[in-house]
Amino acid sequence: MTTSEAPAKPKLTIDGQAVEFQPGDTIMKAAERARMDGTIPRFCYHPGLPVAGTCRMCTVEVEKAPKLMTACSTPAADGMVVLTQSDRVRKSRSGVMEFLLANHPLDCPVCDQAGECSLQDYNYEYGPSKSHFVEDKRVWKEATTKRLSDKLTLNMNRCIHCERCVRFTEDVTKTHELLMDNRAWRKELTTALDEGLFNDYQGNVADICPVGAITFNDFRFHKRVWFLKEKTGICDGCAKGCSIYADEEKDTVYRYRARFNKDVNDHWICDEGRVSFHTYQQADRIVQPLLTAGSTLNATSWETLVPWFTNELKKARRVLILIGTDASSEEAATIAQVLPSFSSADFVVRSWNGTGDGVRTSADDAPLDHLLRRRDQTSNTRGIEGLGIKPWNEAQDQNFDLAIYFRSGRATLPPSMAAKEIAWGVFSLAEAQRFAAVLPGLSTLEKFGTYTNCDQITQSFETVVKGLGGSASVRKILDGMKLKSNTPVREVAGDTI
Amino acid sequence: MTKIVTHKEGALDKYYIPALIVGLKVTLKQFYKTLFLGQSTTINYPEERREYSQRFRGEHFISVDPQKTENCTACYLCQTVCPADCITIVAGERPEDANPYGVKKEKRPVSFDIDALRCCFCGFCEEACPKDAIKLSRNYELATLNRETAVYDLDHLKREVKGRG
Ligand code: SF4
Ligand code: SF4
Ligand code: SF4
Ligand code: SF4
Ligand code: FES
Repeated sequence: MTTSEAPAKPKLTIDGQAVEFQPGDTIMKAAERARMDGTIPRFCYHPGLPVAGTCRMCTVEVEKAPKLMTACSTPAADGMVVLTQSDRVRKSRSGVMEFLLANHPLDCPVCDQAGECSLQDYNYEYGPSKSHFVEDKRVWKEATTKRLSDKLTLNMNRCIHCERCVRFTEDVTKTHELLMDNRAWRKELTTALDEGLFNDYQGNVADICPVGAITFNDFRFHKRVWFLKEKTGICDGCAKGCSIYADEEKDTVYRYRARFNKDVNDHWICDEGRVSFHTYQQADRIVQPLLTAGSTLNATSWETLVPWFTNELKKARRVLILIGTDASSEEAATIAQVLPSFSSADFVVRSWNGTGDGVRTSADDAPLDHLLRRRDQTSNTRGIEGLGIKPWNEAQDQNFDLAIYFRSGRATLPPSMAAKEIAWGVFSLAEAQRFAAVLPGLSTLEKFGTYTNCDQITQSFETVVKGLGGSASVRKILDGMKLKSNTPVREVAGDTI
Repeated sequence: MTKIVTHKEGALDKYYIPALIVGLKVTLKQFYKTLFLGQSTTINYPEERREYSQRFRGEHFISVDPQKTENCTACYLCQTVCPADCITIVAGERPEDANPYGVKKEKRPVSFDIDALRCCFCGFCEEACPKDAIKLSRNYELATLNRETAVYDLDHLKREVKGRG
């Protein structure tokens, strides 16, 4: 009996280890697949951009090739033998570093990139400790601090001409705002128009710039990166749910960065999402329980508010539970199932979105451009729909004596729904005025759960920072309401959900 | 190897008077030296002061340039190196209209606090500073009436001092 054998995959050898690759791979790609690319330094190569092969930092020695080859642009071939750390290679890299540093200001102490700078890291690894250059360094008078837009600042002195930024605007956003002017040592990065950059993904340029030449204004000068702890999360800025790193120190988030996720956002995130964490750290976010006293909302304690809330539920006859489509699936399910057990009133559970000029369901959602941004600016519309919760219908859902609105800071404020309304979740003081009480809840950064994005991809996320002030999780509040353990869970009739 | 030394209590040690006399002998010797020979070990502080070494490490200061702008660029290196964790910096951009230096001093400390009660005067901050901004002066009179004034802010630290001060 013969078994049909799959054709042997082509292989190359990197530093003595045989590595399989797929036809069409470059040496760098093959090394990446085998997770052996740590020994190949690179400046111009970025996995999300087309190959340029200009910086010559990634050179490797290929057996039988007379010259060193660039790993990022040389196609891998079957039987190739590659050395990434030979003496010839290291000497070449040291030479590249010396040229790059010839005109580099080395102002690492004031440079925001210090600590995560490729130039620093590679110079430590490969660079010469001395320079042969005695000439003055080239200084860009005008472009030392140049605003490329209201989001980005360029320090041309630090630029190493890798052109990642240029290729980003050419191939990713396709807006072509950046270009290189002049040649040789006068080669200068400029914007095509006087207005500067205008795309909605500019933060990525600061992310991919291997040095501190382009910095993101929202983060510029705010923190040295070595103080930050890198946590993973999901951006809740729109229905796309991009993967992010949330960098925090002492429970304050300082920035978001894009985290590679092939299925959702590739290497990028949009600018609106990148700064969206500020919403949760604003001074006017309510982080203490508030209870109405006459016409004003007064600060109170959970010990007062929770019994009051339980009592209101008991007193009510017809209750609307309105869940923002920014709630996590777990929160929505828990509230919809557990809250009705506290009272014998009629409960109706509905969802509310309201972002992007009145999105109600995922059917109203649409992409805003060819990359990531969506019209629906809440993170879990699909997830809430998956629980079977229908959107609020103004014509039908009326005559409530109590309405509870739960959201996590992204869904808009719905119109008035009942005589007495209770806000639960993330609200600002201005938004909360019309409510009888506010139960401060957790934002996406402060809780864990799952969101289902616009493409039906369900992603879970972890807690990044601890809840601000007195804000509490849904679970904690419901625990505080002391449901007797033998109370049967009340099934809410299917048609009311 | 640890060597254990034990002291056996003799008969004399049982009464405190002989030990007292031994102790008083030292006191009396100093008393005699001070009163009759003029060889005092104490000084009349604060009228008289000791001369400390040039390298003595006392109160911090931040040096300024001729325009009285601090030399610190808020690089956080001192905060990073400080073993006592007593430096707290908030960095920011110098407002463009109030910045005669251009890019040279575009980054500045918005606030710069040193908690002198935590400081162990190791001088690491001075060592780390790339701008020669933070320095330890020879001032050792750091007593305060409350804890708050022992936290030095930027206004307190900024000083026009040449050398070590
Ligand atoms: S780009 Fe890198 S090497 Fe250059 S000043 Fe900034 S941190 Fe230092
Ligand atoms: S600004 Fe940054 S990304 Fe752009 S060419 Fe210069 S070093 Fe490369
Ligand atoms: S002297 Fe030492 S302990 Fe004191 S502030 Fe400087 S680094 Fe910190
Ligand atoms: S090390 Fe010097 S320049 Fe840097 S923050 Fe401290 S005092 Fe300022
Ligand atoms: S990374 Fe290959 S030439 Fe730049």
